[in-house]
Amino acid sequence: MKGPIGGLHAPGTENQGMNADPDLHLLSLLDRVAARDEAALRQLYDATAAKLYGLALRVVGKPEWAEDCLQETFLQVWRSAADYRASLSPPMAWLGMLVRSRSLDLLRRGQAQRQAQTDDLDDHLAETLAGDAPDPVDTTLASQQAWALHQCLGRLDHRQREVISLAYLRDLSHTELATRLSLPLGTVKTWIRRGLDQLRQCMANWH
Amino acid sequence: MNIARHPELLDRLAAAWAVGTLHGGARRRFEQQAREHATVRTAALLWQERMSSLTELQPGVQPPPRVWTRIHQQVQAERVLVQGRAPVPRETAAPWWQRLGLWQGMGLTGAFATVAALGVALNLNSQLGQTRTELTAQLQAVQAELAAMPRADYVAVLNDNQASAAVLVTFDPVRRQLHLQRVGSFQEAEDRSLQLWALPPGSGPRSLGVLTRERLLQLATDPAVVNGVPTLAISLEPRGGVPEAGGPTGPVLFKGALIQRQI
Repeated sequence: MKGPIGGLHAPGTENQGMNADPDLHLLSLLDRVAARDEAALRQLYDATAAKLYGLALRVVGKPEWAEDCLQETFLQVWRSAADYRASLSPPMAWLGMLVRSRSLDLLRRGQAQRQAQTDDLDDHLAETLAGDAPDPVDTTLASQQAWALHQCLGRLDHRQREVISLAYLRDLSHTELATRLSLPLGTVKTWIRRGLDQLRQCMANWH
Repeated sequence: MNIARHPELLDRLAAAWAVGTLHGGARRRFEQQAREHATVRTAALLWQERMSSLTELQPGVQPPPRVWTRIHQQVQAERVLVQGRAPVPRETAAPWWQRLGLWQGMGLTGAFATVAALGVALNLNSQLGQTRTELTAQLQAVQAELAAMPRADYVAVLNDNQASAAVLVTFDPVRRQLHLQRVGSFQEAEDRSLQLWALPPGSGPRSLGVLTRERLLQLATDPAVVNGVPTLAISLEPRGGVPEAGGPTGPVLFKGALIQRQI
């Protein structure tokens, strides 16, 4: 299979509404935030908050917690945007990483409370898994790297895609996933193994 | 086995490692090899980067507007604090207990003089047959009276942004109390509270307590929290105040230098 390299460099075809280079736009905002420009922080928030809030919600499950994650993340960005340049990651990936680690911290800190809320979370998970349509992901801001992953994930069976996403985003083991999703351990392992195999083959074509 | 020589296996392990499903001994062995072989390390980091893009691919959800309001308020508060911190001259770099010691020493000297004078008088009185027990009781009474005198070792006048005085603060290290006197006309709304903060250099604001609505009030305070603090500030918060950990969330209305009284 020949990789869709053209799609990577000419995003306008499939990825409508995308800026010429969203990474550059976000990068310049981060540089201005690092120079204590609060208007730039607002612009960055307007551009990314929905995306990041969606991510936080996906990890922590509770709106109040997701709001806290978002707030803490933007304060962290305000205080340490200057560190971003050293990370070498695309801006959205860097922001996503901040949100994910905040969210995981929050989940771990609330381990005791989480026990009580596990049911809600699991219902939510099971629902996601039951769905068949691909997630309505808006890739307007996605980095090229994310765009490639998005394309490759799109080729997986929906359930494989979901368990892989959950394993990563929530930092869950095979066993934890099986428990949460009320699935046999063997099934979870198979989905993840097959999904990752396919993902690897597909991603290999993007380089 | 050196997995660096088996590209297919290496790729599979690196992907599983990055997604977090490689566990136990397999994970430890993989990480060990990654530390030893650059090829393994490169594969691991490549997959870590790729997987991190999953954070970009979640459906967006519009957060409620209050999230930005909170971020904005906190950024404002930090700006005020940073600006407020810089120009405040420190009286001295000596540790607080030394500075406190000097002041307390002066106070104690006075106390000893009083007690000594009293002692002379009592010595005279003893000739009139007073017992040692009575002497002790009188000494204790004097000491209690001395201890009961309010002290104001630290003083701050907190101003609003028009430089008008709003709150007078004094600190009594013996009673471990801050005394506050509202001197301006400001009155917070029903659903708001004023919260007093110490702004120690080099660390986050520390909450000293939430003000009640009275003109005069006291807040119990550990001297260690006040020592060496150059600035106090009062922020406007939701009723009942906010937890210290998050710092002020509302605007800082009043602030001023905390000065150790030496006169």
